[in-house]
Amino acid sequence: MRSALPTAPVLHSEWIKIRSLRGTFVALSAVCVVTAGIQMLMAALLSAEDAAGMGADPLLAAFYGVNFGTIAAFAFGATALASEFHNGALRTSLTAVPNRARFYLSKMAMVAGLAFVAGEFAGLATFIGGQAFMGPGALELGSPGTYRAIFGCGLYLMLMALLAAGLTAVLHSTTVVLSLLIPFVLLVPFVLGSASDGAARFLPDRAGWMVMRMEPHDGLGPWTGTGVLALWALVAVTGGWLAVRRRDA
Amino acid sequence: MNSIEIRELTKEFGRTRAVDRLTFDVAPGRVTGFLGPNGAGKSTTMRLLLGLDRITSGTATIGGRRFTELPDPLQQVGALLDAQSAHGGRTARDHLRLLAATARVPVRRVEDVLEQAGIAAAAGRRIKTFSLGMRQRLGIAAALLGDPGVLLLDEPTNGLDPEGIVWIRELMRSLAAEGRTVLVSSHLMTETAALADHLVVLGQGRLLADTSMEEFIEARSAPRARLRTTDPIGLRSALAHRGLALVPSEGGRWTVADIRAEELGAMAAREGIPLLELVDERASLEEAYLDLTAEHAPFAATH
Repeated sequence: MRSALPTAPVLHSEWIKIRSLRGTFVALSAVCVVTAGIQMLMAALLSAEDAAGMGADPLLAAFYGVNFGTIAAFAFGATALASEFHNGALRTSLTAVPNRARFYLSKMAMVAGLAFVAGEFAGLATFIGGQAFMGPGALELGSPGTYRAIFGCGLYLMLMALLAAGLTAVLHSTTVVLSLLIPFVLLVPFVLGSASDGAARFLPDRAGWMVMRMEPHDGLGPWTGTGVLALWALVAVTGGWLAVRRRDA
Repeated sequence: MNSIEIRELTKEFGRTRAVDRLTFDVAPGRVTGFLGPNGAGKSTTMRLLLGLDRITSGTATIGGRRFTELPDPLQQVGALLDAQSAHGGRTARDHLRLLAATARVPVRRVEDVLEQAGIAAAAGRRIKTFSLGMRQRLGIAAALLGDPGVLLLDEPTNGLDPEGIVWIRELMRSLAAEGRTVLVSSHLMTETAALADHLVVLGQGRLLADTSMEEFIEARSAPRARLRTTDPIGLRSALAHRGLALVPSEGGRWTVADIRAEELGAMAAREGIPLLELVDERASLEEAYLDLTAEHAPFAATH
């Protein structure tokens, strides 16, 4: 079992893999830049009344930009894994780290860790930067639920990156994964709207958002919602492991 | 410690047997040529040895251990599988650095192998801009990175220019001379003949030969001598007494089948026939190989 655990050298190698690929590194930076940037842009352009259109829950509205950061998190998780299936790079990787469990866990740990850090920066920058434009109605750090929401934002983006990463380990292609995930996670809940209760609230995006709401919604608490999203991510990562373990490389 | 042991190794892809109950050893200190036509199972055997493909049955080990269980794989085995096994978006230097990192190989060593492989000037370029020959050199640099005792090289001369081929030949010879195990697959005979000390020949996934280069060619060469003489008429009649024929060859030379140079020389001396040149004509590796595969052709065809 111990031999399956990530080691510092293998994690270091995974970090070099991510920073040395332009697309993956740009996607990681975009998690932070896009989330905070769009939030500030919306906050600056919309008057206080229009800003209500970003969501009835003021805390939720403060994280509106996360909708777009999610796409960057998908792109990051997907490209980080897809690079192994490009030109048979996986053969070289497995020749250096032949223990597939260690290889896969190290890769997922690095994806998760980087997405979490970028997500935390995104959460903090989005909240502070966005609220700076909101005038007198702005929320302040320390208002009810704000710390929880900022921390939860990092978890949300990390779990979304893992969802995409796990799926890519099964499907091998960034394009396929993004064209599945973006409609499924971002558009379906939007189309269903707030009218639908029941099963729709267990969709990854819906459930994951709970942690960034001021008031509990749909009967799911903030951490239960995050737990539901974590289960989605776990299923994807486990599916990816079964594919990586079994297949001839 | 550094030897490779293949025992009853079998791999099935669906209903096709790519490797069929293969058993052989690869010993350190010499270059072993791994021969066979395309599709004979050479690459599959290497991939099974590296744990990249799942073994159907049998074992493939390095120094008695499975590759996937080695504590420091990069320092024990260097492999070049195909030149395309690198992400085109990375620079050559980053590609080697991420491999080096897995085994705490110092960054200095990355520069050394780039230098050794002759691609130091291109180290900062993206791999997708590389020619096939440069990718091959990068693959060899990656194989040398951990200074391993075992080298597995699949068609290493693919895409190399003549200078590169000479370079890799010298490199493999010197690696073997240092006591390392070197297994080089190829489907090119002249290349292998210039390179290998020992041969393992596959056909249809089965072992056809496991022998030294010398013996392999010797066993498959009918004795034949080639000569030049100023007295072909005298020689022809002397040979006729022994039931041998003098056959004209190119460049004013003659060949005589079924006799070795040693015997022929002694005979000519006794008869007082002057010889200007006399050598044993041996089969080339290519001829020996074709002779071997022809032998196995009937059962190969029914497979």
